[in-house]
Amino acid sequence: MNLERMPNEEKLSLCRRYYLGGFAFLPFLWLVNVLWFFKEAFLKPAYTEQPQIKSYIKKSAMGLILWVAVLTTWITIFQHFRARWGEVGDYLSFTIPLGTA
Amino acid sequence: MNTSDSEEDSYNERSALVQCESPTIPSYNQDHDMSLPQETDTKRRRPVSSGLDEPGPVERERASTPDGEEEELTLKYGAKHVIMLFIPVTLCMVVVVATIKSVSFYTEKTSQRLIYTPFEEDPNSVGQRLLNSILNTMVMISVIVVMTIILVVLYKYRCYKFIHGWLILSSLMLLFWFSFMYLGEVFKTYNVAMDYPTLVMIIWNFGVVGMICIHWKGPLRLQQAYLIVISALMALIFIKYLPEWSAWVILGAISIYDLIAVLCPKGPLRMLVETAQERNEPIFPALIYSSAMVWMVGMADSSNPDSADERQRNEGGALAQEGVESEDDAAQGGRRRYSAEEDLEEDRGVKLGLGDFIFYSVLVGKAATTGGDWNTTLACFVAILIGLCLTLLLLAIFKKALPALPISITFGLVFYFSTDNLN
Repeated sequence: MNLERMPNEEKLSLCRRYYLGGFAFLPFLWLVNVLWFFKEAFLKPAYTEQPQIKSYIKKSAMGLILWVAVLTTWITIFQHFRARWGEVGDYLSFTIPLGTA
Repeated sequence: MNTSDSEEDSYNERSALVQCESPTIPSYNQDHDMSLPQETDTKRRRPVSSGLDEPGPVERERASTPDGEEEELTLKYGAKHVIMLFIPVTLCMVVVVATIKSVSFYTEKTSQRLIYTPFEEDPNSVGQRLLNSILNTMVMISVIVVMTIILVVLYKYRCYKFIHGWLILSSLMLLFWFSFMYLGEVFKTYNVAMDYPTLVMIIWNFGVVGMICIHWKGPLRLQQAYLIVISALMALIFIKYLPEWSAWVILGAISIYDLIAVLCPKGPLRMLVETAQERNEPIFPALIYSSAMVWMVGMADSSNPDSADERQRNEGGALAQEGVESEDDAAQGGRRRYSAEEDLEEDRGVKLGLGDFIFYSVLVGKAATTGGDWNTTLACFVAILIGLCLTLLLLAIFKKALPALPISITFGLVFYFSTDNLN
């Protein structure tokens, strides 16, 4: 899709849909939203829909940062304590590395 | 593991369709799909003549420019599009070869086979093995042909919902199940601990965003990346589950089938194209790799009439083959379209069916599996790119739909067997 060729209302609607979609545990969608509409929201001359697009981008970015923090924390905890958790650790594991205590 | 029928079907369908193209179609579609090129052509006449698809409209629309300029423009688009296709094809092959060399899962031979290759290859008897490979190939090709015919029939009787559902199902399987398998094997290879919650998040995000980008609207680069990734995944599945000799015979047979399909005037694909043209409507969103920025046309946007045209053209090949994997079909179509928007002086880029990506990668991947060192792999890689270049050149010269597979696969096979047997 080329954003250049879309009318502004469509851009807004697309941005909004991506923003709303991200609530379904989809931080990746928020990331795509931010990257894709960044130029539109911040680097283009102002047009009517731009403030709304900006707000969606900002909210998506906040949600994204939140998810990244949560996931990083969880991954760190898991990787660090996995062996110590014993059975629970194994139950949670998808792949268990070989040769590790 | 036996892959699901739908997966195989879709794949087969894609390749089958793409390869068949009616020679009368003046478009540049390389797919077999006759429908696509024709559709595109008629649709193209309206906005802008596609650069290479139709010499007529192009000339008409460019009446103002001198002949020399027109020639130049055509060639310029051709060269640029060659490069624009080289990059994704190379990327796909790189992903496949990297995986083959590092993850041993895809080179381990299992006793499981796809149901499309029911005959077991007995390593002890050469004659028996050869015979079984040929039989496997015949089964596979007939499945592809049947799928194509089913697709055309479905399209003719307006069972759009069924086709849509089929396509979505096949891409769901690719994006979720195969990538799950792939990720699991990669983690096992690198001895990384992975927990279920994180894994679920990764697969869920990857899959859903992939579905959105491919079937709805998304950034072009991301869509291209997803198409490359699913082509690579599909090629890896084929490399793993096709028996040794059968794979080579199938590659050869598909190329020949492609060639025949494109050159024969009758065929399901042609019917598909003609029907779509009559109805003046887009076929359905399939997976076709589009290399250029399409203005106002979302490649993933089927609601857009222009993209629908594009899609139709590309899909024509795929559709005819098999509705199952629209993507696969589209891929196989390997349609290349050169279109120049006259009023906007912007070209729509080139489209190549995903089936072509898949088969090229299968060839190079198998060379990486069995070849002793990198020579064989590199030779096949170069061979395929040369074939692709030549095909595009022929497209520019003949200005009609050509199959994307034969030349590349032939060169690839020749290079593989000669390089492998050098020592």
